[in-house]
This record gives sequence, C-alpha cells and structure tokens, in this order.
Amino acid sequence: MRLYEHEAKSLFAKAGIPVKEEILAATPREAGQAAEKLGGPVAVKAQVLIGGRGKAGGIKLAETPEEAARAAEEILALKIRGYDVEKVLVAPRLDIADEYYLGVTIDRINYKLVVIACSQGGVDIEETARKNPEKIHRLSLGIDEPFYPFQGMALAKKLGASGGDLRTVGSIIARLYGLYKKYDAKLVEINPLVRLADGQYVAADARMNLDDDALFRHKDLAEMGIEKRHEEGEMTPREQQAQGWGIPYLDLDGNIGMFPGGAGFGIMGNDFVEHFGGQPANFMDSGGGPKPERLAQMLVLLDENPDVKAIFGARFGGISRCDDFAKGVIMFLTEHGLSKPMVMRMTGNMWQEGVRLFEEAKKEHPELFEQVEIHGIETPIEEVAQRAVELAKG
Amino acid sequence: MSILVNNKTRVLVQGITGGSGSFHTKRMLDYGTNIVAGTSPGKGGQEVHGVPVFDTVAEAVEETGVEASVLFLPAQFVRDAAIEAAYAGLKLAVVVPEHIPIHDMLKVREAAVRHGTRVIGGNTAGIISPGEANLGIIPDIAFKKGRVGTVSRSGSITYYVADTLTRTGYGETTCVGLGGDPILGSTFDEILDLFDADNETEAVVMVGEIGGVYEERAAERVSRMSKPVVFMIGGITAPPGKRMGHAGAIVEGEMGTAGHKVEVLEEAGGHWARTFQDIPRILQEQGL
Repeated sequence: MRLYEHEAKSLFAKAGIPVKEEILAATPREAGQAAEKLGGPVAVKAQVLIGGRGKAGGIKLAETPEEAARAAEEILALKIRGYDVEKVLVAPRLDIADEYYLGVTIDRINYKLVVIACSQGGVDIEETARKNPEKIHRLSLGIDEPFYPFQGMALAKKLGASGGDLRTVGSIIARLYGLYKKYDAKLVEINPLVRLADGQYVAADARMNLDDDALFRHKDLAEMGIEKRHEEGEMTPREQQAQGWGIPYLDLDGNIGMFPGGAGFGIMGNDFVEHFGGQPANFMDSGGGPKPERLAQMLVLLDENPDVKAIFGARFGGISRCDDFAKGVIMFLTEHGLSKPMVMRMTGNMWQEGVRLFEEAKKEHPELFEQVEIHGIETPIEEVAQRAVELAKG
Repeated sequence: MSILVNNKTRVLVQGITGGSGSFHTKRMLDYGTNIVAGTSPGKGGQEVHGVPVFDTVAEAVEETGVEASVLFLPAQFVRDAAIEAAYAGLKLAVVVPEHIPIHDMLKVREAAVRHGTRVIGGNTAGIISPGEANLGIIPDIAFKKGRVGTVSRSGSITYYVADTLTRTGYGETTCVGLGGDPILGSTFDEILDLFDADNETEAVVMVGEIGGVYEERAAERVSRMSKPVVFMIGGITAPPGKRMGHAGAIVEGEMGTAGHKVEVLEEAGGHWARTFQDIPRILQEQGL
C-alpha cells in the first residue's frame, strides 16, 4: 500500500526525521491560505500515489498566495498517469545546497534488507545508478540484525558528510531504517534529502510503500487516517465493477474471455491463447477457494463484455472445489444466461461431484447448455485453449 | 527416491484442529501420508482423525519423532509456528497459508537457515511424492510415481505439469510448489540441488512466472545441472508489472520480466517449453 507524500511525512516527523511544516489543501482557496500562513515563496505539489509527478506538471512554484491558488487550480485539474489529483501539498520553498538519495528496500535474492544511499539525489537517480554505480552505496542487513549508529555514520561519510553532519545524517539514516522495520514497509525513500544553505537537513519528499498483509498490526495508522486504499490508476468501468466484487481483473484488447482458476494459470492461460493465435480479452484471478457467487460474477463480467466472442474456462481444483465451480457456472447459466459460446475444462478436487451437478442441471434444462462445452482430465488443456480460439473466430 | 518427503517421513500438522487443517489431514491420511501428530496450543490431548494433538512442536517431536510439518494457520500466526518448527529441529515445514507479512517471512527464513530447516511457501499448494506422501492441498488426481521432478511457483501449474507428465508416461518423483508469495522460504536453485542429487529423478521441470527474482537466482544452478531442465515462464504476453520505487529498480535491475527470465534460463542451458505439451517433446529430444 503506497502512502501519499503528506502521510509519509507525518510518519517521518513522528520518527524524528526532519521535515518542514507543510499544509495540505483540497481547493485553490485553501492552497492560497496555506501559502499565506507559511509566508514567502512556496512549492505546490500534487498528492498522487505514483512517481513522475514533476515531469507531468504536478509541481509548481509560486511567489505569492494568489499564484499558489492559481497553481493549485491547475494541478487539481490534472490527471497524472491515470490518477485524479484530489489534494495538493503546499510547502515552503527551500534554499537547497545539496541533494541526496536515501532508500530502504528488500533484496529478495539474498533475503536481506538493504539501505541505499547516493550523493546525487533527485529524479535521475536510476540513471546515476546505471552510469555511475560507484556513487551508489549499500548496506545489507538481516531482518534480525540491529542497526548501529556507526553504520549510519559510515554511510553518511560515503555521501560526503563531515564534522557534525556525520552524526546528523547518520541518525536520519538510522531513523529511516527504524521506520521501515516498525511499519512493515516494502519501501521507504527520501528523495531528495536536502542540505539547506543554512546547513540544516530536511526530507523534501517522502515515499513509503507498506505491506498490506501486515496492516493488522499497525492500528495507529488507521487512527492517523491512513487506511487501505486502491492503488490502480484509471480503471475501465468493468475493472471498477470487478473491483467492487473483489475480483482481480484487467481488461485487455482481445476477444476471448478468460475464466481461469488461480493466478498461476490466469497468467499462463493468456500466454497459451496467444500461442494458439487468439487474443485474451482480460486477465482474471478467482483467488483460492472461490464461492459459487464469485464464480458467477466472473462469468457475468465476461458475458456482458461485447468484445468477448467466446469464453475459455479452466478449473484444476486444489484448495478450490469442482462442485463449487459447477454450482457457480450453473448459477450464472440459470440466473443470468449465456450469450456466447463457452468451453471449459474441469478437474481436480471433487471433480466427480462437479460432473454430477452439471449432468443433473443439463438434464433438467438442456437449453441452458446449448453453447457450453465441458471437458475433463481426458482432454489436454492446450486442446481446450485451441477450441476457445476457434470459437472466438466464429 | 523422492526428495523432501516419502512414505516413511513422520509428518506433523500444525493447526490440525482448524477447519482446513482437519479437512486436509483427512485427505493426506487417505493418500497414505504418514501423519503421526498435530499441534494446536491449548488443545493437547485431543485427537483429530485418530491423530494425537500436542500443545507444542517440541512435545510432538519428543512423543512421536515428527520430522516434517505442514502448516494450516491464519497468516498472522505463521511466523511463530514456522520458527517453532525450526527451533524444534524439523527438517521441513510446508507453509500453505497466503498473505504472510513479508518481514515475517524474512524472519522465518533466517531461523530456518540457522536451524537447517527447509521451509516451503508461503502460499504453496504443498509437496507430493506420488504414491508416497502428500503434504498440503494438492489434489492427487494427476500424479503418478515416475522419473521427472517438478518445481513451480503456482499450485495450479503444478497440477497441469503433472497431468502432462502422467499422461505421457513419465510420471513424477516429487512435485514441489514453491509458493506464490513475494518472499519464499525456499528458492528454485535449492530445490534443483535436491533433484540433482536424487538418483531416480532423470529430468526437472521448473515453472516460474513474471515478477520476482527467484528464476534469475536459479540460472547459475541450472547451468550446473547434471540432468536436463525444462522450464516454463508464465506472463510472456502480460503487460509489464509495476516497479517498486527507485530502490527496487536499483536492487533488482531488469530482473522480473518474463522475457528476461527466459533469456537467462536459456543461456544457462535450460530448455524452454511454451506449452505443457512441449514438455514431453523436449524430454524425448533429450533422450528420455
């Protein structure tokens, strides 16, 4: 879960990482008032959950409160990579002497946490990493290892800090690392950490990405108004509908509706369809052990998509059960109805019961199954995928 | 021989009194898995499907000599339970639950390495040595004892690969689900080590997917395998995923795309199967 800059900065402030007083504004008028309160020139910054806002016009400088209000008006009208800008952060202009980069993330290959520091902060940090890898300094630590003050100072020294700044920058690094561990973060970044002309250090921007799966032990975040949010940019109406039902779903450009089991075959099934000359209309994941209602909803999404010419279903029951799968499909056929051909393969956990349910329903309402082909383990999945490609061609 | 588990392995179910713990204990027992104990703190002394329940893993070890465990617990209890298994000296812990906090898995990994415990998962379908033992939630319908080992991140893909190998007469020695979570207890290269040393495994099928770094980490091991490695990568046609900040890009570089994984594994001498049906064709080309 990504945090907004202003949220991350309030956590920074609590952790003792230096930040300036900045004011959140939802309207141009509020932005003008904020600039007035701060006094002097300001920067108005879009609050979005994605990087690259500066290049998209999401940061503007203003000399007066009137200019700040105008800047806010322009920024609040923006859409940055699909994100509506709902709020801006009004920040005092900084007299910058130097910019640094600090980040903490996970090195998954080596199962370590890694602190990354670079003496050249700013938007081109990844290019610096490629062209001047010697400017990137790292410290790897096991999750159970403590972070000692000397380690922070050693990194600060590599950044070029000296004298009293060694301790100052060292402690900012230590606090950032502490914050990372405290909140089960996947990523924290200060980019840039700036040294002001008067010698003070301040986090000019802040980025945090927390582990959704660990939110249960950070109740204080909810008290601060930091709650689970959807991170997707602009969604299609169908993606919004799927999200409302709690179904991971993405629209793609093709005409074969993909009705897979878990994410693993959800991903590979799309590859197969393309391999056999078809084009998937979507990516979808049923999650483990889906209930019949959810399976029926998945089919509704595909049936109501006019671009979908055929539906390809696959269920290899593991934690999920074929009887639930059959119930979901029958529920969809009965309550909603199918308007296009559908071919599917069902096997695995409780497959006999699934087959029995289908046979019973078919005997009672053969008309519902006119456009449905159901295969079992005897048919390789590739043949079912090829059949779906054929059906979509009409 | 199989790897990791066989019909002699003495198995513990952690969380045996819960709904899915009890349900899958029955399934695993029916398959012939040698389940000799369960744990559920506070419920020691009970029985589930005839299996004695203990309060702690250490007691289960002392009383029944368990060597391997499979975990059916809510995600927030996995850290403690898996580390308990490691401290008690189990050789293997199979973590079925998904959505385990990432920092918890790092702690589990550290304890596992320190105590010599192999942790598989989280979010794994489990491990099956066909005809011998089934640890986890794998439906046994597609599996048959044979000569190819499989290791995959996805459960459903494990089933499809076994389905293909069984149908074409190769069968499987052991099938390992690594798990779908971002931080895993074990990696492809570690499982390849075991398959390489197993004299009944004549080839290995490894299946990865877009995202993560474990396929890249395995490339060096693939290049040293004494037996053929057939690999598949899911997500060749998927739109590229999101990067995690600059730090993620600096640490992981171009790792993570399906194309990059295919490239490094082919370079290491792996054979790329585009579909499941390519697998038997490649095995035959390799003289199997």
